[in-house]
Amino acid sequence: MRKTGILVFCLTCIVLGYFTFTLSEKAFTSKWDLPAASDGQEVKYRLVLITQELETPFWDKAGIAAQEQARKDGASLEVWGSYGKNQEEFLKKLEVAIQSKVDGIIVQGLDTQEFTDLAKIKAAFYGIPIITVANDVPKSESLRKTYVGSDQYLAGQLIAEQLLDDMGHKGKVILMGDKHKEFYQQQRLDGIHEVLKEYPNIQTVYAETTDVREEIIAATQNMLNQNPDTDSFIAIKANIAGAMVQEIGRRSQVEPYYIYSFDDGPDSISLLTQGKLDGIIEQSPEKMGSLSVELILKWLRDEEVPLKSDGYLTDIRILKAMEKQ
Amino acid sequence: MNKIHKKIWTLTTVILLIMAGIWLTLTYYNQKTQNQYNDILQRYLRMNEVTRTSQQMIADLNNYFITPIPENLNKLNNSKEKMEHVKKDVSYLRNSENDFALTNYMNLIDSLVETTDRSLLFFNEKETEDSAKEFSEATRISMYISEMTLTLIDSELNTYERFYRGIIEQSEEIKKLGIGLMLMITCLLMFLTYGFSLSITKPVQKLTQAANELSRGRFHLPIKVDSNDEIAFLAKTFDRMRININNLISEIQQKAQLEHELQESKLLLKESQLLNLQSQINPHFLFNTLNTLSKKAYLEGSHETSDLLVSVAGLLRYNLKRLDRPVTLREEVMVLQQYMDIQKARFTDRLHLKMSIDEKCLNVDIPGLTLQPIIENAVNYAVEPREDGGNIWFRIQDGNDCVIIEVEDDGPGIKEYKIKQILQGQFIQKGGNSTGIGFTNVVRRLRLFYGYEDIMNIESSAAGTKVVMTIPKDRRGRHDKTPDRG
Repeated sequence: MRKTGILVFCLTCIVLGYFTFTLSEKAFTSKWDLPAASDGQEVKYRLVLITQELETPFWDKAGIAAQEQARKDGASLEVWGSYGKNQEEFLKKLEVAIQSKVDGIIVQGLDTQEFTDLAKIKAAFYGIPIITVANDVPKSESLRKTYVGSDQYLAGQLIAEQLLDDMGHKGKVILMGDKHKEFYQQQRLDGIHEVLKEYPNIQTVYAETTDVREEIIAATQNMLNQNPDTDSFIAIKANIAGAMVQEIGRRSQVEPYYIYSFDDGPDSISLLTQGKLDGIIEQSPEKMGSLSVELILKWLRDEEVPLKSDGYLTDIRILKAMEKQ
Repeated sequence: MNKIHKKIWTLTTVILLIMAGIWLTLTYYNQKTQNQYNDILQRYLRMNEVTRTSQQMIADLNNYFITPIPENLNKLNNSKEKMEHVKKDVSYLRNSENDFALTNYMNLIDSLVETTDRSLLFFNEKETEDSAKEFSEATRISMYISEMTLTLIDSELNTYERFYRGIIEQSEEIKKLGIGLMLMITCLLMFLTYGFSLSITKPVQKLTQAANELSRGRFHLPIKVDSNDEIAFLAKTFDRMRININNLISEIQQKAQLEHELQESKLLLKESQLLNLQSQINPHFLFNTLNTLSKKAYLEGSHETSDLLVSVAGLLRYNLKRLDRPVTLREEVMVLQQYMDIQKARFTDRLHLKMSIDEKCLNVDIPGLTLQPIIENAVNYAVEPREDGGNIWFRIQDGNDCVIIEVEDDGPGIKEYKIKQILQGQFIQKGGNSTGIGFTNVVRRLRLFYGYEDIMNIESSAAGTKVVMTIPKDRRGRHDKTPDRG
């Protein structure tokens, strides 16, 4: 009886001991992996890529490519920006970047006075190089080092040619653009007009709207009312395409219209896949991202001075709905 | 030998050490956690400090612009200094995750200070417009700093989230560990205490048992306690006491035995005396009468009758005198001869007595009237019932350290059970014609006198009986102890 008691007792002790041991092991081995303390010695170039449209497919690609390139070249890069073309936020980010004295700024160009002020005066004051990417600003007005992105003029031409191919040499085209006509939009528009002016049978109507969805819809309705015989739509600014297509769809079938846009809107690709767009201009955001980083680093390291002020153009091509399907 | 003392000390020390160990570990751990908490808090506080200081600086600058007195300027300079200071503090927060953001942050602080300086410069040079512009910029930067602080804190939270969760989990684990430890220590201590108390109480219990046994009078059980403390010592002492008591008791018992035996021998003697007295009516008268008869027989010329009467008288006198004192073998033999003379006169030719006596052995002490009853017995059984009589051999031989006395007859023998009875000292219903002092009486007296049992041997068969007595020459210590029979 007493032996059993002692045995049970010993067993309990062993079990408890084991339990306690494992617990103490768990409790005292710290499994916290704190971020490694930065050595702080290595002087890295700090770059910032600032865009107005964070988390759109186009800018995601550009951002990832830029970061990849920066890592390869031993620089640190962060992607900042605003969502949905929020200019105020975008400009604030730009100012913060300048005040933070980063080594280089890669920025989506914005053709406004505030942007120009910041880029021209502030950045220059602190000696921070600025490269515009994807959308350019007039080089005379800003002291940007260079531009990396598509030739928007060429893009306009391409889209006009595609329109001619699809529609023929006769018809009515509605061009929808932003009320605040940015530099790159102007370039696109110029490109389109350049091609279409050869064809007197093609009538172009230019409509202006803002970024606000309701206004886009209203503008589209207005255009459709005024021009019931229209054959084609071109959204000069890719962001407009979504609301525009939706409104056209509400009126009638989308298919009879030839609708074109660009790929730098948040829903461009999905609209194309759905067949609502007949074609878009596909740019090379990856190339833009990596090339811009490469160039700014070259500039910082004095490897390539000065940079071509005309810009470094990246590839564009027209992407048709048929291809996508 | 301070064993129990030592045991208690050891137990206490072990408990103390365990407790101290646990306490130290937990305290160390707590300290560590506390430090971590402090570090974490410090991080947040430092960041917050930046925001506050930057706002303070803007406020000071504004105050100075409104009332440009040296006191306000001093304040502004102070907060600028403080700004530098917190900037340095913030630099310690750098890690691989927030490297970029922190650099920006610190540069923002620089920018703020620079902008403030510029604003101040313009103000001092009375360029109010530029100054206001710079001031508004400084305000913006201050706002950016606040925002960035929030962003940094946010990212800090993200970075350290797993770390914080780890701390929470660990504190949970510690709680569990505490319970586990408590249970284990309870068990362990119970075990230790059990063993310890057992090591003290078990010997005590044994000792108690032994004491109980002793109190019940069982002194033969040895006391054995196999522990190594004072109890064992106590038990050893106790055991020695038991042995001593045991010895004393057995000694007392021996003494009582002796006393008993003495009493018995006294009784026997009384009995023989009584028997003697019964058989002798007025012995002195008889003795005198016998002497007179002897003389008369002698005067009348009957010599034989006279001799016989002398023998009877001598026998009678011997019986009267020698009964309560040891006599020598020589006297006994003499009495025996007188007795045999009488018996010869009685049985004439029918009794053939053959004596062979070693004279050297006759000085041995022997209780009185021991040989006569044996011979008488032989005569009664071997000679008297037979018409053609019988032979009796009486021999005294030297057996080195003892004297061997043999009485042999060729009678019909004694039955086996009777021999047993005699040798065991039981009284036998005897036949009518003995002198009174029986065989058994002799055996018991001899044994008492010499103090050992194996003094008489009886060999009996149909062809005769042989009684052999082995009398030691030296009575050893027995002599003094034998009380004087008077």
